Amino acid sequence: MTRVMAASAPASGPGSGSGPVSGPGSGSGPVSGSGAISAVQALQAALAAEDAAIFGYGVTGAHLSGNRKSAAEQDWTGHNEARDTLTAMISALGATPGAGQAFYRLPFQVNDAASAAKLAAYLEEGVTRAYLGIVAVNDQRLRTFGALAMRSSAERAAFWRGTTEAFPGLSPT
Amino acid sequence: MLAASAAAVPVLLATAGCRSSDAFAGPDPLAGRPTLAPDVVALQAVIAAEQTMITLYQSAVASHLALSTTGPSAGPTSGPTTGPSTGRAGVLEELLAQHRQHLGQLQARLVLPAGSPSPQASSSTSPGAAPRRVTIARLRAAENASATDLVRRLVSMPPALAQLFASIAASDATHVVALGG
Repeated sequence: MTRVMAASAPASGPGSGSGPVSGPGSGSGPVSGSGAISAVQALQAALAAEDAAIFGYGVTGAHLSGNRKSAAEQDWTGHNEARDTLTAMISALGATPGAGQAFYRLPFQVNDAASAAKLAAYLEEGVTRAYLGIVAVNDQRLRTFGALAMRSSAERAAFWRGTTEAFPGLSPT
Repeated sequence: MLAASAAAVPVLLATAGCRSSDAFAGPDPLAGRPTLAPDVVALQAVIAAEQTMITLYQSAVASHLALSTTGPSAGPTSGPTTGPSTGRAGVLEELLAQHRQHLGQLQARLVLPAGSPSPQASSSTSPGAAPRRVTIARLRAAENASATDLVRRLVSMPPALAQLFASIAASDATHVVALGG
């Protein structure tokens, strides 16, 4: 099955490995009001985002060279480690981690260094939104985990985008 | 009926030899200020910290603009920038603008019960006097401290507010990099 790296795709359900699933940028995301979301659901969304990022960085790295290629490789390694961490966390909660896909449709054409960097920023922004969902769960340790993870992804997004932003992961109106 | 009863009270008090103030000399359960919820107190503290940050940036921008007109430019930073502006003063202005956005979002979420101290009154005094010269190192330290404090506080906040804190903390962390940290 092909996942689409789209910000508006519906999130996968708790423990589900099939059905309409999302790439980076969907997941649990921002919440409104005071309702907390399921820890497993939030972790699964983050795992889906990490899986998509791992695939995406493979594409990104192919169009980069020098220090930026090294940076992409380092980020790819980091996302693999994060995927393993999330997989273990989901299993520890008694759920089945969602399986990554063999192929993801890219959100736009990537054919040079500039579009590769744009894709890397897109991936990190999606990962940031996914970890933001973990910040809304009731478990305090998970909240801290999500906040620290999105801090790292926001830093990587800023690196690839070349600019900072006021509200990583959020779109205040 | 109610109006007639109210009008009759002074007459009754006078008949009893009491002044009206005597009737209200006891405890007044309606005069107390409401106790603020912990998340409101935390939000107020974060707002005050954001205001202090803005004051720091304002001083930094002023001193760097002065430098840029009287001396050699400090040049662009090595990390991510914040927009089309170039040079350190431009970077600082963009970061300042983002902090103002943070403050706006935080203040929009602050709802105080009637009778609470005005947030305007407390905000005007909490940041303190602006330091004359603010170094980039000091800004980096302030951004780091803010990010750490927000992550510490968000664990006990309602989900939506926790997410705002996390987002601002992430933004602050990117500011550290933009400042060359």
